[in-house]
Amino acid sequence: MADEGILVAHVQDIPDGEGIKIDADVLGTVDDVALFNDAGEIFALDDTCSHETASLSEGWVENGVVECPLHAGKFCLRDGSVQSMPTTVDVACHRVIVSGGDVRVVPNPARRAQ
Amino acid sequence: MTARDAGRVVVVGGGLAGYSAANTLHALGHQGSITVVDPEPALYDRPPLSKHLFDEAFELDDLSFASEQALAERSIETRLGRRATALDPESLRVTLDDGSVLDADTVIISTGARARSLEIPGGDLPGVHVLRTYADALAIRHAVVEGSRVAVVGAGLIGAELASALCTAGARVSLIDPVEVPLVAVVGAHMATHLHGMHEARGITVRQGLTAAFERAGEALEVVLVSGERIAADLVVVGVGIVPNIEIAQSAGLDTDRGVLVDAEFRTSVDGIYAAGDVARRRDPDGTLHRPEEHWEAAQFDGQAVAHAVLGLEAPARGTSWFWSDRHGVHLEATGRLSGPGELVVRDGGEHPTVFLVHRGLLEGAASIDDAMTVRAARRLIDQRVPVSIDALADPAVALRSLLRPAR
Repeated sequence: MADEGILVAHVQDIPDGEGIKIDADVLGTVDDVALFNDAGEIFALDDTCSHETASLSEGWVENGVVECPLHAGKFCLRDGSVQSMPTTVDVACHRVIVSGGDVRVVPNPARRAQ
Repeated sequence: MTARDAGRVVVVGGGLAGYSAANTLHALGHQGSITVVDPEPALYDRPPLSKHLFDEAFELDDLSFASEQALAERSIETRLGRRATALDPESLRVTLDDGSVLDADTVIISTGARARSLEIPGGDLPGVHVLRTYADALAIRHAVVEGSRVAVVGAGLIGAELASALCTAGARVSLIDPVEVPLVAVVGAHMATHLHGMHEARGITVRQGLTAAFERAGEALEVVLVSGERIAADLVVVGVGIVPNIEIAQSAGLDTDRGVLVDAEFRTSVDGIYAAGDVARRRDPDGTLHRPEEHWEAAQFDGQAVAHAVLGLEAPARGTSWFWSDRHGVHLEATGRLSGPGELVVRDGGEHPTVFLVHRGLLEGAASIDDAMTVRAARRLIDQRVPVSIDALADPAVALRSLLRPAR
């Protein structure tokens, strides 16, 4: 199913250890989506931190975790679960399909804009 | 599996250190009961108090670490609105202010600290506030209206954040501190001067001087400086540091010295009683007292570490210190030390400077404004003892993370 999901980026657009932000409009989601490259593996989470307003795409990516750029709350890249306070609420994750350098995101159905 | 059975654990104090201790005990598989006692109505996070107290929504629920249900799922019991008044060093029984008694096999004291008040004439007048608890924040919130004249005494982290929040709320703010530039020891002179300058740029009246007294002036108050200058205010907020709440430790006869003395495993002078967070003060075997960190993350790490110690487990390694401060629409972060031996390096080129302290070729500390990733990288450079060049640090074109990569 090569055409499953929405083509949003190429792997080389996302430097290792960093993130980029994909507009909610592109994906039809309620929040922007952050794409992360952690040692070559690509992950997608809701972009807005669940603690205060900050873009997780600008966070520190390392060892399967993104650290929020504002107050350093940490989320698991795989499922968006909280790994460290001050945040206490998980963020949603989205499915990522990488094929031939293309990065496609399948928006989490629970996060589709109505 | 835990290495040691801690039995029934009573955590006296449910701020960040106490909550983190309870949470970590559960996460590590502690099988005995966990009871957290706190005089506050909830277990909640304090950093928003000085930043968001005038936000439209400022509810205790939003500051809470966890819902009642989430606490129950982790088998954490609470005795909220109750103060522990006595701790028996023999039986480890904890007596609460309603006369009830909690039996314990292990006690963690995490009572934190209270705001220091000024012992000067008028220091206890109505209209003179401090800011440490949710109730303190609400009292200030309710007392301030558009155009209120508010004098903030003390321009440290809390005073600076509060002054900023007051400005946003439409108050006319005077910010008073005995030193010309506060926070020099914390972020270095260059950054401290830049930060302090932001207050006047925002329209805050900044005054240097020691406060001698607060006096009534009709319906309002006056702050009287030692110089004789008088500053009229409808409301005064004093932010001059904290005093550890050591009373419960004293009731048990524990060794204290401006804090409950603990060793590297958070043990107090009595078996089975531990202390962590702002109330604890580490003393080395040679008698050296450590400086209290008094920052958010330190309290969190203390709570996690004391839980490990209680269960006979080794705590995760702890890196260099880190804190943030949000004021005047900017985000400050700092790590490590920016005063003491070494060369201060300034990275200019943007709206705000970034500063570093380098000693013997190694990074010792860093502070930045609206450039958190530089401090996050600096933290790792410090922890991993990666040699750094002063030229690279001073060059705004060099991303600090790139200095870390070769070390990966």
